[in-house]
Amino acid sequence: MLRLRFHGRGGQGAKVASRVLGSAAFLDGYNAQDFPLYGAERRGAPITAFTRISRDDILERGLVSQPDVVVVMDETLLSDPQSTPLSGLKKGGVVFVNTPLTPLETKEEYGIEDHVITLDITKISLDMIGKPVLSSLAAAVAAKVAGIGEKALRDALEKELSGIISERELLDRNTEAAIYCYNAVVPISIETTEKFREKENVISIPFETALVSSPSILSKGNTPLRRTGNWRIFRPVWDYDACTKCMTCVARCPEGCIQLNEDGYPYTDYANCKGCLICAEECPVGAISKVRESHSQTEEEDQ
Amino acid sequence: MDSENIRSIKELPSEENMQPGTAACAGCGGLLTLRYCLKALGENIVIVNAAGCFTLLTIYPFSPFRNSWLYTAMACAPAGAQGVRDALDILIKKGKLDPEENLKVVVLAGDGSAYDMALSSTSGAIYRNLDFYYICYDNEAYGNTGFQHSGASPFGSRTGTTPPGEKVPVGSQLQKKNLFDIWNSHKPPYLATVSPAYPVDLMNKFKKAEQFKGPKLFISHIPCPPGWGFDPSQSVKLAKLSVETGLWPLKESIHGEVEHTFVPKKFKPVEDYLKKQERFSHLFKPERQEEALKSIQEMVDDYWRKNKLLP
Repeated sequence: MLRLRFHGRGGQGAKVASRVLGSAAFLDGYNAQDFPLYGAERRGAPITAFTRISRDDILERGLVSQPDVVVVMDETLLSDPQSTPLSGLKKGGVVFVNTPLTPLETKEEYGIEDHVITLDITKISLDMIGKPVLSSLAAAVAAKVAGIGEKALRDALEKELSGIISERELLDRNTEAAIYCYNAVVPISIETTEKFREKENVISIPFETALVSSPSILSKGNTPLRRTGNWRIFRPVWDYDACTKCMTCVARCPEGCIQLNEDGYPYTDYANCKGCLICAEECPVGAISKVRESHSQTEEEDQ
Repeated sequence: MDSENIRSIKELPSEENMQPGTAACAGCGGLLTLRYCLKALGENIVIVNAAGCFTLLTIYPFSPFRNSWLYTAMACAPAGAQGVRDALDILIKKGKLDPEENLKVVVLAGDGSAYDMALSSTSGAIYRNLDFYYICYDNEAYGNTGFQHSGASPFGSRTGTTPPGEKVPVGSQLQKKNLFDIWNSHKPPYLATVSPAYPVDLMNKFKKAEQFKGPKLFISHIPCPPGWGFDPSQSVKLAKLSVETGLWPLKESIHGEVEHTFVPKKFKPVEDYLKKQERFSHLFKPERQEEALKSIQEMVDDYWRKNKLLP
């Protein structure tokens, strides 16, 4: 049996990707299971979805805690403590990462020891579909890794997407982009072990005094620690030569994370800016441009 | 009172009572409204939050607020507010709390709570003349659980539970509940509709409300990027369009007397607003549903005609 786990962000299409993959596997003659796990709906929050594919009956239920293949649809999730995409990955398993980096660079950047495949599917999606929605592309990559045939993938895309997308042209562009990704990925053979559900470790937590272990109700306004800046796909960048200090961007930021510097010019707190780009849209003089985010290089610039 | 009114966004108070890093979606119109409201209300408040999208703002161990926050079930935020108000009043009366340290009690609820589940408890609170603020962020559906139909969902919209299909091509067949009029028939001291696209209007309404003791109610129409289906950067544009097309009238009511605070000089066609959202896309493709579009425009025109404000 092949166990896959998708990690994406709300709105990117992790749930649909696992669904398309499940259908493709089924149409290709396998037994398949797919299901997502998410809490309340929030665009940008970490989302997980699972797929199981097998020639035999699938009697296993529940979350996939030890996947053979992990599909990371958003690079920033690799360093997100809420998500930890690599946890439980089987030895000899495969990690797909959506990044402009090469597999070797990705391994070094994130300290991954297993096999890594990379492809900048966000760029492909923006170029070919016009929106950073990755469901069909991630499904195609996973289908290739799992060894599903192209015909089955096409049929599955048609079946699943036609229920969501009413526009024929958009659906076709999705399929086209998906097949492009399917052909761009060179699969690595997966050395899976059939053994599953090894005895899970019980973690014992040492006793702590109340001061350490109970909630601190007085620490107010501490959400900036969450650093939601890694939700961005595009970042706003200010051109101070054009800026008239009109304060529109400061007023319009839903998070309130645009502030003024000593000279009275606005700047954003990139650690927490989610990249909604209302500021760029509302700026009356067009002094804010949107720049494609590339997370691996910008940590220092953010400071 | 008038002399204190602000005139432009440059005069918005600089204090931020809500920190960034919340779990709300990028481009959330409700968050923008809340940020303005908290600027107006200041730091010394208690938020009583009914279950909804904004429950997610405060998740242990994180809180974006500088003030206290109490979570209640969907149907009983006004009842929670009554408890907090009573507790504060009793503490002050017994001399255990300095009147200087009194707090404003603020209910924060989505449209699912305000229009549907908590309508009776809100009615009760207004009836008892509870001294509190009520802010409803109305994104016209149950937003954080999959965008299901609520009492606030407008006619013709696609929601999770009213998908347009062969038999019912328009989506939702029900008209949006008129919460403003329901509340207004209680004759509360202060009631207003606001929009995140008009922060100056919003701030001044909160300022005006301050002078009244009793329920002070605000309904804000807010764009929801994932639910309505548009790019997050268009949030403010859409909020503005809903006012400019006449769909969301900005008005206030003092002891039951209604007055409009902003009337567009020239009303834009409702289509301009509908066209920009995925949840109305079935009204245009594969073929235009003329009748539905006409009836939506008719409904808006009727409203303004009745109020004798149609130019």
